[in-house]
Amino acid sequence: MPWTLQLALRQLFPPGRVFPAFAGVSILGVGLGVCALLVVQTVMNGFGEEHRLRIRESYGDVRIFSSAPIERPEALARALAADPAVVSSTPYAEGPALARAGDFSSVAFVRGVDPADPDLPARRYVVDGALADLDDGRVVLGAGLARQLRVRVGDTIDLWSPSLAERAERGRAPLPAELQVCAIIRTGFTEIDERAALIPLRRFRELWSLGDRAHGLILRLREPADAETTAARLEAAHPAGRYIPWQAEKRNLLEAIRFEKTMLFFLMFIITLVASFSIGSSLFSSVIRRSREIGVLAALGARPAGIAAVFTAQGVLIGLLGTLLGFGLTFAILGGRDVILRSINGLFGDGDMVGQMYQFSAVPLHYDATDFVLAAAFTLVTTALAGLVPALWAARRRPTDAMRDA
Amino acid sequence: MPEPVLHGSGLAKAYRSPSGSIEVLRRVDLTVAPGESVSIRGASGAGKTTLLQVLGGLDRADRGELAWAGRRVDGLPASALAGLRARQVGFVFQNYQLMPELDARDNVALAARIAGAPVAVARARADELLGLVGLSARAAHLPSALSGGECQRVALARALVNRPPLLLADEPTGNLDEVTGAAVMELLLSVCRAQGTALVLVTHSADFARLAGRQLVLRSGELSPA
Repeated sequence: MPWTLQLALRQLFPPGRVFPAFAGVSILGVGLGVCALLVVQTVMNGFGEEHRLRIRESYGDVRIFSSAPIERPEALARALAADPAVVSSTPYAEGPALARAGDFSSVAFVRGVDPADPDLPARRYVVDGALADLDDGRVVLGAGLARQLRVRVGDTIDLWSPSLAERAERGRAPLPAELQVCAIIRTGFTEIDERAALIPLRRFRELWSLGDRAHGLILRLREPADAETTAARLEAAHPAGRYIPWQAEKRNLLEAIRFEKTMLFFLMFIITLVASFSIGSSLFSSVIRRSREIGVLAALGARPAGIAAVFTAQGVLIGLLGTLLGFGLTFAILGGRDVILRSINGLFGDGDMVGQMYQFSAVPLHYDATDFVLAAAFTLVTTALAGLVPALWAARRRPTDAMRDA
Repeated sequence: MPEPVLHGSGLAKAYRSPSGSIEVLRRVDLTVAPGESVSIRGASGAGKTTLLQVLGGLDRADRGELAWAGRRVDGLPASALAGLRARQVGFVFQNYQLMPELDARDNVALAARIAGAPVAVARARADELLGLVGLSARAAHLPSALSGGECQRVALARALVNRPPLLLADEPTGNLDEVTGAAVMELLLSVCRAQGTALVLVTHSADFARLAGRQLVLRSGELSPA
């Protein structure tokens, strides 16, 4: 170990002291700054990832959208499925309907799906019943919608589609579709859980008078990240409407999340910056307090660079230990985020604030190594600079001045 | 004739103050042979400490030449001067000036580390020097746990750990009682003799000054024989 590092360590952690005040408070300050930065970034990543996942699950990696229902969608689906970039291609249809069970009713967003599709995302979110039971007389409901209608698996609901209203206008007495609930799904994404109703595509076509047409197709790709280029290529090869990659679905929302994350990074970084400034200030007073020692080091033959290294190393050590502490605090806080959130809800709210405000039933998170590397790099650079400025000042002093001022 | 370990010629130093320039050293000529001991006395404010700092390269003279072991050092840049000082000059201060966070062994070893010695070599040399000053049993003690006399003995061991040919001692007994001061002075002289180290001793005490081989007085910015 170089003598500069040894001396820096001894000055930061003097032997015989249980709690070295300067080092302890400085490290805690940096740790809290790093923790605030990473907690915010990780949660924002979580929001972004959850939104991206839900978008891909709802709209596929590429969605084919047409201004009019697509004729013979099964043939187009087969042609697209033959493309090596495509994993599966499924026709879909969707639209709003009035759902009613006894005295309770709600607006459902109904989607016609292929119950045999093994990649149907709803399979991952079944909390009651079985999606395999879905047939023309049954329906899968989002947990929130089921709650609004006061129904459980095995209960029956009535579904009124807009085409039934058209029939009523033509003087025919419309009868609602009577469907038995066969499964309930909970995705954690409020927008889906509160509205979704899934029925077989064949039944949807019947209720919406679509014939053998579909509203569009959903494609799942081998490389979802390449959806934009693949969508453009497939659109040129199979013109049947607009091929919308998942990145373009709710682009504004995704951009807003990305922008919010970037802004929060800078806002939170200010905390680390403030901590670094306080370290710089503390090191400055330490340099002044240690003037005599600086003079003695020079008398012992320490070069100015060596003297500067002693104080710079203290800044770097505080930054390093503060960063590690910040990492630890981040994992601890994010690990207990549900408990913390419940406490906050209990103190300031009267229910599920996150669910109401951000569409998620729990705080999502996604650890990104880049955020940790960036936070560590920024922190180490700022704390090193915080140590370097007083260190250079110390190194430039003449030994006699340093000893005289002590 | 062997090369002198210290040669200062025409050294002058003045301090600027609001009331004008104060000439502390007017013209100092001093040559110290290897192993020689020289004492310098003078009234308070005569410039003894300034002279020692100029001789040790801690401060620069306004005029004059300074050489250590035949090498001119007055024009060297700060970094090169520091590197040379680590091996050529040892300092003993009135207030010991030990690092409060380091124990006695590490205080002594620090000077060797600064001079470039590896950890093991520096520690072995520190143990050897602490043995020489009779402090082997106190090697692991912090300065706060040592008496004034012990601290000064640690400071002496630190000053000699790199086997410098020249030791500059600035009132080394100034903070010690008479008995302890005499013991430290005896140790200082005997260790310097044993190591063949030349000594320039600044002191108020006429008794201690007489222990040196040559006695000088700093008066009106110039050195003259006592």
